[in-house]
Amino acid sequence: MATTKEARLRSSGNLRRGTFAIYLAVCLFVGFGLFPLYMMITTSLKTDLQTFEWPPVWIFTPTFQSYHNALFVFGGRSADHYLLNSIVVTLSSSALAVFLGAMAAYGLARFRFSGNRDIAFYILSTRFAPPVGFIVPIYLMVQRSGLLDSQLALIIVYTSMNLSFVTWILRGFFLEIPIEIEEAALVDGYTRWQVFLRVALPLVKPGLAATVILSAIFSWNEFLFASILAPGDAATIPVYLAGFSASMNIDWGEYMAVGTMAVLPIMIFTLALQRHLVRGLTFGAVR
Amino acid sequence: MPRIEFNCICKTYPDGTRAVIDLDLTVADREFLCVLGPSGCGKSSTLRMLAGLEPVTSGDLVVDGKRINDLPPQARDMAMVFENYALYPHLRVFDNIAMPLLARRRPRTEIRERVLQVAETLQITEHLRKRPQALSGGQRQRVALGRAIVRSPKMFLMDEPLGHLEAYLRVQLRAEVRRLHERLGATTVYITHDQEEAEAVSDRIAVMNGGRLQQLGGLIDLLDRPVNRFVAEFIGRLPINVLPAFVGAGGSLRVGETTLPLSPARMARLSASGAGPVTLGIRPEDVSAADADGGQALPGRVVVLEPQGDRTVIIAHTMAGRVSALVPSRLVPSAGAAVELRFAMDRAHVFSADGANLLHGLGGSG
Repeated sequence: MATTKEARLRSSGNLRRGTFAIYLAVCLFVGFGLFPLYMMITTSLKTDLQTFEWPPVWIFTPTFQSYHNALFVFGGRSADHYLLNSIVVTLSSSALAVFLGAMAAYGLARFRFSGNRDIAFYILSTRFAPPVGFIVPIYLMVQRSGLLDSQLALIIVYTSMNLSFVTWILRGFFLEIPIEIEEAALVDGYTRWQVFLRVALPLVKPGLAATVILSAIFSWNEFLFASILAPGDAATIPVYLAGFSASMNIDWGEYMAVGTMAVLPIMIFTLALQRHLVRGLTFGAVR
Repeated sequence: MPRIEFNCICKTYPDGTRAVIDLDLTVADREFLCVLGPSGCGKSSTLRMLAGLEPVTSGDLVVDGKRINDLPPQARDMAMVFENYALYPHLRVFDNIAMPLLARRRPRTEIRERVLQVAETLQITEHLRKRPQALSGGQRQRVALGRAIVRSPKMFLMDEPLGHLEAYLRVQLRAEVRRLHERLGATTVYITHDQEEAEAVSDRIAVMNGGRLQQLGGLIDLLDRPVNRFVAEFIGRLPINVLPAFVGAGGSLRVGETTLPLSPARMARLSASGAGPVTLGIRPEDVSAADADGGQALPGRVVVLEPQGDRTVIIAHTMAGRVSALVPSRLVPSAGAAVELRFAMDRAHVFSADGANLLHGLGGSG
């Protein structure tokens, strides 16, 4: 008895030590991931002098001078113009990708036709090639259609890039809807299109939220195509941001202020949609 | 109210499965028809073709003289109740019931009135604001019924609507289904694999097996006058006894070493079909057991007793195999006792090798 109790105590001690080690490792890793974000936000709130002080100042009175400079003082287009570009491009391309993708996914999930599975795989395979590989043809297409440096060019390119994974993910969500629910709606007097809009779409809401978030994050952060197709007036925030590091003397405060402003909208957007990510909406519909 | 005709309907799925084969069946106006059969017999495919959820491979589906093969489901004016309820999980009970009316763009006040009326009929008024997830199985099935009856369709299709419910709820709801039918008078096709349920709700029963319609009639018809061995074995609260038998010269029938007494008409029928091995079918209710005393009875030994209230099923081993008999409990022999099993031969069936009932159409029950 005594020995087993001892053994149990010892093992629970081991367990506690093991758990502690795991937590420590996780904390270190999370710290590693979040530290740049922390540096970006704090630097944006420092004066130039504080930024370059060594050892670094950890505690200081925040100033919004850098934000003021980035928005109102800098010559040419200011940060808000590019933020707005990003918002327009991101919202349009995500909405389009998810709407078109949902229709494609529904078709793939619900209709029997030859090559159905092959098409689903083919759609996903369009993401296999590295995007750099086809940037030249896309540049030429955009140039010839006179869309260089326009929001529309980016919207079209991002929509096409997001469409494949949106379709792939939503197909899985549609397949999870018990078919009888849709059949019931058909018998109840709804057309296929109405069934899609009024029954199927509401039931894949978590999937819609997830794909909108992923598409938006992709479009918001995409740099390569944006920098080549829309380097000027239509530039998105990553392209504008990159401009800071290209100049001879970097305005660190403004750079980090724009960086912080670039993170905020997509963060708020994601957090706002997050509550729709809950699963299990179809639970209890059948059986 | 419509009359539904299946004219030589076939259903073959893309993988080659022949689910329904040459189905000829007419459901009369205002009739309540049950389709009964084991799983995979084609009954669900039949209903789904009628609803327009599966295309008909060949044949004509006719409602009120009009061919409806190519009509989409929403144009068929049928309401369907699914085995697993298939409620809209994102809508409240009220909207679930209102959906068929919304599809027809009825005025808001009418929808409200109809839904409340239906909810009251089915005693689910208190649940109207809940979502389906919050309801029990019986309540969900009531909602599904409500959704079906709310727009007073001409036809009801029910696919094992009570299959997932507990026994007592099944009994309660099947009475309600029958009552609804009597009140609404819609032509109803009801699928089940439960013969008691079929008997309780329907006017006629269609038995299907292997994609083919076997027999159509009331339960008593099916019990006493099965057309073939499948129907005889499928129908009946207790499984029918099937024993290897032999037709001899002049139509005599032998089981083991016992020659069974047959009426002249039956002997003539058996004689006409020729001598050879056959299968005797006799229901436990038509077998009596007495102490051994010789004569035209099958000797056996009691091995199992299954009391069922005032009657008891005894299972006896005989030379021809196991035979069960349903006898009054006060006359039950003890286990291990030797008994003589007597068959009420005017209620016996004789099946040929291909399963056809050789005595079908003879006398009161043969």
